[in-house]
Amino acid sequence: MPLRPARVGRVGVIGHPVAKTAVVAAAVTPGPGGPGGPGRGAPIAKTAVVAAAVTPGRRRRI
Amino acid sequence: MTDTAINELGPVDYLVVEFPVGASNFTGEMAKELLSLVDRGTIRVIDVLVLTKNSDGTVDAMELSDVPNLGDLQVMEAQLAELLAADDVEMLAAAMEPGSTAGVLIWENLWAAPFASAVRQSGGQMIANGRIPIQAIIASIEADEASTEGD
Repeated sequence: MPLRPARVGRVGVIGHPVAKTAVVAAAVTPGPGGPGGPGRGAPIAKTAVVAAAVTPGRRRRI
Repeated sequence: MTDTAINELGPVDYLVVEFPVGASNFTGEMAKELLSLVDRGTIRVIDVLVLTKNSDGTVDAMELSDVPNLGDLQVMEAQLAELLAADDVEMLAAAMEPGSTAGVLIWENLWAAPFASAVRQSGGQMIANGRIPIQAIIASIEADEASTEGD
């Protein structure tokens, strides 16, 4: 279906071809450890890591 | 738009959500959550388009009003500002895989408007912004933990 006439002939706002970003779901995809398995590859471990990163009180080391 | 209106405008963002072939599962949950954000005054939806990238790379764009069975989104559709131009369709579709469908959403962050306005009135100018991918956060923490384990 065609776009509305108001969209045609106007200057765009995006300005450049959009690049595909990394799919966020990949962050919780089981890694070598497998789901429930040991190591950082498990989804639970990934979630815990992200939670730790945004937990107040964590201090950066510079 | 007047200077006053511009000063009170919140940051405007966009996202393109791709649904690969056979992966879409529209249950109405997305519309419900989006409308919740609107109803709570967190965001104002400025524009929505539905794009389909054909196997030959051509792109079809559909207005939200052309989507059948809009349901609760019908209310929102009447308030769209049609910010995107036809030229933007190709730009946005560049990220899509052939054969996929994507929803494009443009919104104003109403929650950030008062702070943004205060920044401008204080003479501040935003010189950078962005989003940190979750993958980058994970990589940072894991590297941190690995170096700690080595201590």
